[in-house]
Amino acid sequence: MRASNTRWLRPVAVVALAALAMGIVPDPGAARAAGRRVVVLGFDGMDYTFTRELMAAGEMPNFERLIARGTAQPLGTSVPPLSPVAWSTFITGMDPSGHGIFDFIHRDPETLFPYLSTSAPEETGDPVKIGKYQFALSGGGYELLRKGTPFWEVLEERGVETTVIRMPANFPPSGTATRELSGMGTPDVLGSYGTFTFYSSDIFLEERNVAGGEIRPLDLWNGVAEGTLTGPDNPMLVKPTKLTSDFTLYVDDRADVARLVVGDTERVLEIGEWTEWIDVDFELLPPLFGFLPLAPNLTAMARFYLRQVRPEVELYVSPLNFDPYRGDLPISTPEEFAAELAEISGRFYTQGMPEDTQALKGDVLTPAEFLQQAKIAGDEVEAQFLPVLERYSDGLLFYYFGNMDLVSHMMWHVMDPGHPAFDEAKWGPYREAVRELYRTADRIVGRTLDSIDDDTTLIVMSDHGFASWRRTFSINAWLRDNGYLTLKKPGKKKASILSDVDWSRTRAYGIGLNGLYVNLRGREGKGIVDPARKQALVEEIRRKLLAEVDPLTGAPAITKVYVTATDFEAGPYLEIGPDVVIGYAKGTRGESDSALGEINADVYTDNTDDWGADHGMDHETVPGIFFSNRPLAKRVTGLKDLAAAILGEFGIDGFPRAADSS
Amino acid sequence: MFGSSKIKLDKDLLAKIKRLADLAGYSSPEEFITHALEKELAQFEGAESEEEIKKRLRGLGYIS
Repeated sequence: MRASNTRWLRPVAVVALAALAMGIVPDPGAARAAGRRVVVLGFDGMDYTFTRELMAAGEMPNFERLIARGTAQPLGTSVPPLSPVAWSTFITGMDPSGHGIFDFIHRDPETLFPYLSTSAPEETGDPVKIGKYQFALSGGGYELLRKGTPFWEVLEERGVETTVIRMPANFPPSGTATRELSGMGTPDVLGSYGTFTFYSSDIFLEERNVAGGEIRPLDLWNGVAEGTLTGPDNPMLVKPTKLTSDFTLYVDDRADVARLVVGDTERVLEIGEWTEWIDVDFELLPPLFGFLPLAPNLTAMARFYLRQVRPEVELYVSPLNFDPYRGDLPISTPEEFAAELAEISGRFYTQGMPEDTQALKGDVLTPAEFLQQAKIAGDEVEAQFLPVLERYSDGLLFYYFGNMDLVSHMMWHVMDPGHPAFDEAKWGPYREAVRELYRTADRIVGRTLDSIDDDTTLIVMSDHGFASWRRTFSINAWLRDNGYLTLKKPGKKKASILSDVDWSRTRAYGIGLNGLYVNLRGREGKGIVDPARKQALVEEIRRKLLAEVDPLTGAPAITKVYVTATDFEAGPYLEIGPDVVIGYAKGTRGESDSALGEINADVYTDNTDDWGADHGMDHETVPGIFFSNRPLAKRVTGLKDLAAAILGEFGIDGFPRAADSS
Repeated sequence: MFGSSKIKLDKDLLAKIKRLADLAGYSSPEEFITHALEKELAQFEGAESEEEIKKRLRGLGYIS
């Protein structure tokens, strides 16, 4: 099933030939655009200052080669500087008011329930029910919530082939590129953003759910350990019932190895070894008479990691991923493109953000084990890149690397010994981890430079930079302490806006990592603030937030406060977003609980989490990078200009389109 | 399963519930009623519970 070369031929070229045959006069813009080549490498979270430091130290020779006759500058990021917002700004050339993505998390103004901003599951139609079985007739897909015209759509309209691999905020894929693979935002088989399972035979280990994962028991008897993998609800049963699939580990008497049996797959595993992707079958319906299949199985795939066999057996199982060969989830354009990529370099994580940061935070993986897992995920992406680059002939190639961002979140603070979470014994050995990521990026850039010709424009960019995150600020606790948010039971230490707030006396609340909303009459379900008084209230809050001083450091906690109605453009989706976006001082970030609408006791806390670095701060403190092998025709200062500059390389003007931004 | 609380149901409705609960694969009429009520309540609370939604969003990594 090797990918045939014909699949990589340009459908656009075929259309152009057909148009010529029919006597249709081609668009002169298309003639200018044809034959141009632009390659864009996107390294999520690549920090400008740190990159320059490593370049100055001679550690990134290929970046030096890249910019020898080109450009090297910081790239202004989005407000707020969060990946879904930043990449949506790059994709559309507009700020959040034009693409509708203001944060990782938005809220339903009526119920205040939080939801992921970039995509949402579609409602399924009423299934046909027969006894205890049901059959869905429609739905079950996902909707892309990012609005606006992606820049590659403009290229395609001018006859330019585009290949867009793992662009964030593009799940499900837009369907407008010649070839696309979705990335950040793509769910796992459970519909989550990655749920690992950790099995242990330790009878004292409590079975529980943790953020991003589950801890489950393993029945061990005479060297045989049996466990059960849990899938999604069985879609064919009226009664909600989880699908399950059993596995067995046979532990060797003497050696530190075990034989893993999952369905038809058998694999001998040494301690500390990771498997390749293994099929996990979930039976939807039992076969008729024991052998006649009534429905196909749901087949997921997972990687297994044997952590130890003595005194207890411990096994980590990756989130259940959709198999790129099977097409069970719309992750590519055309649909078979994901399978073609798998054919080229093997199966791969199809979930977005596969580096399992939650397993490290939950102490399920050690820092060393996390780095192994992250390397597996990063190597898959790199292994896929080189064949894609070899097959690229002209047009636009965008290729995304997410490894740097997620590993930096967990390892950047290792370079900051004063960080509250820093512990020499735990983190000391990993001082080179982030540098290694940058050296990998340098190697990728080197291979790209070796592969392209002198006429190809190569752009290396990132969506934002990075900073150590030492201090945490709870906006909901601050609003409570300053009289803007009132609890039903004033002394309650742990409260939620969904159940504990007296809305008749609440004027503002926080949701999302940087968002603050006015409890506006006519918009919020229990809104009380007169729209005519909103601006004055927002200005009052803005003034107070900018005066906030962290009592521990004596430094300002917040250095920017953006009022979206006046500081953002007047795009059509302004109403979706918060009324205020908070730009925390470098080193401070919004509290996680507050981002979900919770109200804790303290406004300020130390960040003792393993997730010790971030970028959800004042956007001017965390710029991304913009490097290229030649000066571009159009000036670039920030993410918002970049797509227009790329189109400029193809001789195309007029982006973003006026219709999108008004 | 209702603890000390009791809920009165029309006899015909109860008979129908008993018949359909078995047909739909529930182990008891109580289980069927609980599921039906949970499903109905979810429409008012949103498609998922607060806990489920927050658990999923915490899986992003950005939210601890």
